[in-house]
Amino acid sequence: MNDDLRNRDPRLGDEPDEWSRMVAAFRSAAPRGGAPPWLEQRVMAEIESLPERGLVARVAAWLVRPAPIRVSPLVAAGAAALLAIVLIVPDRVPGSDGADGGGPANASVTPTESVVYVQFMLDAPGASSVSVAGDFSEWEPSFTLEDVDGDGVWTGRIPVRPGVHTYMFLIDGTEWRTDPRADRYRDDGFGNRNAVLAVASGV
Amino acid sequence: MDAPVERTDAQVVRDVLAGDRDAYRLLVRRYGDTLYGHALRMTGHPDEAADLVQRALVKGFRKLPSCREPERVGAWLFRILANLCKDHVRSPRRRDVPMGRVAAVLQEQGDPASDAESAEIRSRIWGALDALTPEQREAFVLKHVEGRSYEEIAAVMDLSVASLKMRVHRAREALRGLLEEYA
Repeated sequence: MNDDLRNRDPRLGDEPDEWSRMVAAFRSAAPRGGAPPWLEQRVMAEIESLPERGLVARVAAWLVRPAPIRVSPLVAAGAAALLAIVLIVPDRVPGSDGADGGGPANASVTPTESVVYVQFMLDAPGASSVSVAGDFSEWEPSFTLEDVDGDGVWTGRIPVRPGVHTYMFLIDGTEWRTDPRADRYRDDGFGNRNAVLAVASGV
Repeated sequence: MDAPVERTDAQVVRDVLAGDRDAYRLLVRRYGDTLYGHALRMTGHPDEAADLVQRALVKGFRKLPSCREPERVGAWLFRILANLCKDHVRSPRRRDVPMGRVAAVLQEQGDPASDAESAEIRSRIWGALDALTPEQREAFVLKHVEGRSYEEIAAVMDLSVASLKMRVHRAREALRGLLEEYA
């Protein structure tokens, strides 16, 4: 016997079987039936239309896949210092009007000799894909984020050269979205706001 | 001759990742009905359910490299679908579509159990279900409509059994209140 019957609630009515009737009605009213026969073909057709993952894409996917990074306390202190530098770096982009300085995104950085790996994150539940496009990619959405857990939080590490950059997210290849976590923004001249990311030189 | 059908889920995942895209068809066949059934119960509409299942399966294919337990790929796909369903139910556009439409859909499909009284009850209970939060609705559907165990649901939804029980309890309380209003 299921617990619905044991936990019958008398408030539901005078009739003693009201709750169990309701639960039974829920079950009988629940839509039944298998997936329509055309669904398999539709799914496979869409999958077949996806581009093959080339070597470059696989390497890029590996690069942007979030992974735990172990750091010693000494390195952590250095990283904190670097982050502090990033936070206070002024916007020195030629031609800037000064009203939209270069603040960082909500991102962690991993410097190498010539680039800094910036961790991007976007809450986009329900999205099938999320890419990042910015001046660092010639505005091509070539860096894809991943939602590893299927919880709608998309993340990825992207190599960015030091400097002040603007970027946006592209959802499902069609919807442009401004990073809500960015500290600063800049109008793109087309009615949208780009997020601004300032990246200091690596250590 | 149907040797591929014998492949385990983990083998299928491995084959797909090795480049055999068509092997993914096996996963679609194995889990399509289960996924569709849940989507249908969450949305109440066949077209929306089919669309959500398609999105979930394509998303699963794209993200297959991140599936950490290939032997449990079915549960992993279910989780992707469940998240899509909740987002769909939550979306403002979806809110314009009453869940009570399920009763009409059922009658269109010629449900043999449909009579005047049960149709009224269906309309009432699915209308009440529509008033729950997406999380409450999901918990109630999984537990009381699909009849899954708490342990099974907790594993799929990545919740503790205690948290899940609380969610189901709240769903039931909310439903009771709503059904009282409608009575």
